[in-house]
Amino acid sequence: MTDSHRYAMLLSALPAHGALFTARQTPLSRIRLEQRLTQLDAEDARTLRTLRTLIEWAEQDPHSSDQAVLERARRQIPTLPDPFARDLADWRLEMRTLICALRRRHRGEPPPSERRWGYGRWTEQVRRHWNEPAFRLERACPWLPEAARRLDQGDAIGVERLLLRTVWEHLERLHDGHHFDFAAVIIYALRWDLVARWTSYHHERALARFDDLIETALDGVELTPEAAA
Amino acid sequence: MNELVIALGWAGLCGAMALGAIGSIIGCAIAGQAAIGAMVDTDSGYGRYIGISVMPSSQVIYGIVIMFTLQREVTVDTAPALFGIGILAGLALLFSAVRQGQACASAIHASKTKPEIFGLSLAPAAIVEGFAVFAFVFALVLAGGIPA
Repeated sequence: MTDSHRYAMLLSALPAHGALFTARQTPLSRIRLEQRLTQLDAEDARTLRTLRTLIEWAEQDPHSSDQAVLERARRQIPTLPDPFARDLADWRLEMRTLICALRRRHRGEPPPSERRWGYGRWTEQVRRHWNEPAFRLERACPWLPEAARRLDQGDAIGVERLLLRTVWEHLERLHDGHHFDFAAVIIYALRWDLVARWTSYHHERALARFDDLIETALDGVELTPEAAA
Repeated sequence: MNELVIALGWAGLCGAMALGAIGSIIGCAIAGQAAIGAMVDTDSGYGRYIGISVMPSSQVIYGIVIMFTLQREVTVDTAPALFGIGILAGLALLFSAVRQGQACASAIHASKTKPEIFGLSLAPAAIVEGFAVFAFVFALVLAGGIPA
């Protein structure tokens, strides 16, 4: 069996992703996805699990410090046996470092004093050009000026949409030439994570809207224990 | 030296069929796995997926026909021609079967998501089949020129 078609069966068993922002739910449930991913061989399954643990928000421990996350990434990424997975992890964590810098600057913080304050090749560049709108990285990261502008405008949803779209399009570009190999499985799983994240935002927005409506409807109404009974 | 030439002649005689069979094995396995995957994800059209997945089996049939066409007494005079035609036609059949299997896997994957492109998605596999037919036909034509 040729390596480029190692996962023909697995990938054919996965329903296609539609467009990211029009999705109302993931193409298959998390349980079903995990079930299908059991077809991966042991090493690839380990690689995918490590990769998702490193880069997906749903997998992050909210109590971990930045330093702990960075140390874990620096320790685990070089051990990933698949170069595609390593490059992708590097790219996502570099992107996250740049967003972190934008948010810090937006809060009025000074440039980081530590040399290794973030992940990847741009940390020193960011420190040196802290006051430039896009840290002079417009060419390497064309999404950065727009992200900075939206953040300055306080458009949080716009920033989130831009970042999700950037990752989605990056994965789409990487998909060229990978149809039934392990890279295609990685791309599918990461896109599934993006859809899951976006659709969960809808859920949260719906809950917030529901709370607002309840508050509006109950405005001026006093609930006493007798009335509730 | 003569023994080696005769051995090569036999290799050519069997080569077209053997290499075609190897290609068909790999091609059908690739397309077959995609077909099984597609059946897991869909509720209908199973026969269609299986039908596409066996397309790369034609190469072994071409190989068998070439082998019978080449079949004659293997001598020092006939062995070089048997080797050249058999091995080269076999290689063409092998690669075409593998690539056709990959094209079929893509066709299955695409038509599962978009059933309306089923026919069009088979065009690449059909074109690859055309090249296998070229190798087959011209191997037969050339085999006619080998002394009996």
